[in-house]
Amino acid sequence: MKIGYKIQDKFDFGIFLPLILLMIIGLLVIYSATVNHPTASGNFNKQLVSAVISIVAFLVIYSIPEKTFRISAFPAYLISLLLLIVVLVVGKTVYGAKSWLSLGPLGLQPSEFAKIGLILFLAHWVSRDDRDINNIKDIGVALMIGFLPILLILLEPDLGTAIVFAAITLTMIFWGGINLFSLFIVLSPGIVTFASLFGLPVLIIALVGILVILMFFKRNLFTSATVFVVNIASVFFFDYGVKLLQPHQQKRIEAFLNPLADPLGSGYNALQAKVAIGSGGLFGKGFLSGNQTQLRFIPEQWTDFIYCVIGEEFGFFGSVITLSLFLIIFIRLLNLSTITKDKFSSLIIIGILTLLFTHFAINIGMNVGITPVIGLPLPFLSYGGSSLMVNTILLGITMNIYKHRKLHT
Amino acid sequence: MFFDTDLRKKILFFIIIGFFFVLVFQLYQMQILENISYSEKSSENSVKEYLINAPRGTIFDRNFNVLVSNKPIYTVELIPANYSKENNPKIEKIFNLEDGYINELLEKYRSYSSYLPRRIKRNIEFQSLVWLEENSEKLNGLEYIVDLQRDYPYGIMGSHIFGYLREISADKLRNYSEEYQMGDLIGSQGIEKTYEDILRGEKGVQYYLVDSQQKKIGKYLNGAKDIPTTKGNDLVLSIDGPTQKKAEELFENKRGALVAIQPATGEIIAFVSSPQFDLNKLSSVTSRDEWAKLQTDTTKPLFNRATMSIYSPGSTIKPLEALIALENGVVDENFTVNCQGGYQYGNRFFKCTHVHGKTDLIKSIEKSCNTYYYQLFLKIGFENWSNFMQRFGFGHLTGVDIGDETSGILPTVEYYNRRLGKGKWHEGMLISLGIGQGEFATTPIQLAQYTALIANNGITKTPHFVKGYIRNDDNAFVPLEYSDLKVDVSKKTFDIVKEGMYKVVHGAGTAQHIKIPGIEIAGKTGTAENPHGEDHALFIAFAPFENPEIAVAVMVENVGYGGTHAAPIVKEIIKSFLMPNEQKNMTIISAGIKGE
Repeated sequence: MKIGYKIQDKFDFGIFLPLILLMIIGLLVIYSATVNHPTASGNFNKQLVSAVISIVAFLVIYSIPEKTFRISAFPAYLISLLLLIVVLVVGKTVYGAKSWLSLGPLGLQPSEFAKIGLILFLAHWVSRDDRDINNIKDIGVALMIGFLPILLILLEPDLGTAIVFAAITLTMIFWGGINLFSLFIVLSPGIVTFASLFGLPVLIIALVGILVILMFFKRNLFTSATVFVVNIASVFFFDYGVKLLQPHQQKRIEAFLNPLADPLGSGYNALQAKVAIGSGGLFGKGFLSGNQTQLRFIPEQWTDFIYCVIGEEFGFFGSVITLSLFLIIFIRLLNLSTITKDKFSSLIIIGILTLLFTHFAINIGMNVGITPVIGLPLPFLSYGGSSLMVNTILLGITMNIYKHRKLHT
Repeated sequence: MFFDTDLRKKILFFIIIGFFFVLVFQLYQMQILENISYSEKSSENSVKEYLINAPRGTIFDRNFNVLVSNKPIYTVELIPANYSKENNPKIEKIFNLEDGYINELLEKYRSYSSYLPRRIKRNIEFQSLVWLEENSEKLNGLEYIVDLQRDYPYGIMGSHIFGYLREISADKLRNYSEEYQMGDLIGSQGIEKTYEDILRGEKGVQYYLVDSQQKKIGKYLNGAKDIPTTKGNDLVLSIDGPTQKKAEELFENKRGALVAIQPATGEIIAFVSSPQFDLNKLSSVTSRDEWAKLQTDTTKPLFNRATMSIYSPGSTIKPLEALIALENGVVDENFTVNCQGGYQYGNRFFKCTHVHGKTDLIKSIEKSCNTYYYQLFLKIGFENWSNFMQRFGFGHLTGVDIGDETSGILPTVEYYNRRLGKGKWHEGMLISLGIGQGEFATTPIQLAQYTALIANNGITKTPHFVKGYIRNDDNAFVPLEYSDLKVDVSKKTFDIVKEGMYKVVHGAGTAQHIKIPGIEIAGKTGTAENPHGEDHALFIAFAPFENPEIAVAVMVENVGYGGTHAAPIVKEIIKSFLMPNEQKNMTIISAGIKGE
């Protein structure tokens, strides 16, 4: 009997349509933010070309044999590390970070392409049958796989991308089946350090919380004490690390904690972004009519602050529609992750989901003023060819997995 | 499922959904609940950049007289974001714009930011300015700026030389978005077009504090961040101001063209296409009335007759015919024809103007004997003839630096083979080409170039208006290079032909009446037959005879003989260029007489 395939069975429009819509919205707002700009007015055309190339890349990735991903996992990871080292040596410095490789007329960000390498290889490693993700050695190796690129990226230094890599690593380990106590060990230092940002009282509350949870787990005293000490050490280590950060990044962390302290300094962008979004109202000021955008109150708005163009010119209505398109993709990815053929594919999808979601959360969070200003582009919308291409390729991988999800095919 | 993911999936799901709602709530708070306070902040004082147009480069003549400069004018701008369309009829009336003009303009630039100003009228009258200032409270989104407009202080029109500026088209604007903004003027004819990049300059920026209505309320940081404009480079033309002025006066109420070239350099000394048009009117009026008027004018003032009109060269081509015959050894200077008032070829009789009797080569030029040239043409042979014509610049563009130009018509063997068919024509049908009639057509600038070649024994350069420019950065003069045009003909041949042309003026020739004491002129008259009306008068000449400094070609439409109507113009031009002081003295004397 012939099975009556519908195209949806092989090609998921639940992901593809929101992707296309987001790319269109992105092009529109990039146009608005750069039209008649003295230096950036060519960006719309460049992004249009990138978008077309990305769609082609998406379809190519969608069509290749699925075993390609498993075969290429390790080489992709190795090449990623190699490129990240190369960029530290011969890279071009953009906005204080040595993150660009110039290839003739083209520019390339190795950290963007390293995302593919990390996700594929970590998925490959964690999904192997002889791994036990709750074995301290295997956790260690898994963390190391994530830590190597993170270290190289921190050296650029690019804090935002390093955070994304950390989130991908942790979430994939989590999805790999780590138990709650192991997860707690991995996560608690991060939670405590984050709390330390808000001053001593908050830090003490967090440490007390750690103690309570340790008691709840009822492990032996030695283990519990070690975890607690590691937590305290991480706070000092972080404090030391902050001093190693670039001055502009330190300022951004300060500015996040108190944006009004220095309205014309590093908090300026955050404040103007909020003003742009807030003044948009229900339906916005109209395409090409946002005064914050058109009078160029927000520098380089077409990159990290592209979302506030939507907020200003299309209002609450447009902002929520954009959020919803992302939500559809995220929920769709989450659902796909449980109907894949194998654990490898499932882990890949979760890695991709984490990557997109982290970018989304940090970028929109900083646009609406609930996360610090950390330079991360908004997937599919921000100007930038490397980022757009990698993100669409990742969705292409997802779609490929979806096509081959059934064991019998 | 291969491993337990239920709980983990739920956790991720709630993180995603949770964050989504946090964002939606934050947006709701900012955009709905606190919208008013944010909107106020957004329209508070802010800094706005104003682009300031750079002055275009000045255009000088060969002696650094200012021919084209800039003058300040008031221009009204409209900022759509703050403008209410209800005011359209009122504003269109005050500024003398056509009904619906503003809507049309807004529609045209719909895809541009509504905070960018659209220029609605240049060079407004003072009363309109006063009205605008008095009513500024009621006229949100309307502003005036001080702008610059082309000025022509020397008192020459030069309409086909300088050309005009027009507002940049939407298409061009898209392709050159870095150099130009909407409403910018761009050279669209003549020198202004060819040398746009040299003349343009770079815009400056001024920063102003503006209120929510985008009205200026003061300079930002006292102008510390302003970027001054960079004036365009100044052009130095080869035009001779006084001679050009004289030429324009001589062509008043006449239709025709004049091109005067310095033979050795190809520099254009004077250049007229008449009737002209007033560049002042074109540079100030946005209205299409003036355009419509110019375009429908039956005398075609926009048409550049000096480079675009084609006429038979008539007898002005005879010296070249003689040259071809001599150079090819078909005849020598002693070849004589007995002119009995025409030439019988087969069953056709080709007429001459007079009965010249025994005529040798020199006399044939001096008296312009047709009979002689009918025979010479047959001796030369058509193919040879057209090859040589081509070497003297006929049948192709001169490459003059003002764009619009036509190559004229130079009949060739292929031309007739294509038109009539191979073997279906013979040279006998083409005899009238020998006296510059028939299907041979040339432009005035081609005639001037040919005259320059004769004058300078076969060497000149591409005719051009611009000697070079004065670079704005360091005031250095940058000369522009032009390519050589050479015709390899022996000096002896040139000397014989030139002697004939000398006798046209100084012998018993057809232009004896244009002698100037102290200057020896060589020339040739011509008349282009016109089946539709009175013939066109032609004259070419160069002077001084020994070391030519100027070669002139003149064409006057529908007046009759070249000797009578075109030659006197050439005389005045030569006098003006070679004896500038005499002209001045004359003016002083006549001023003195008036004073008494």
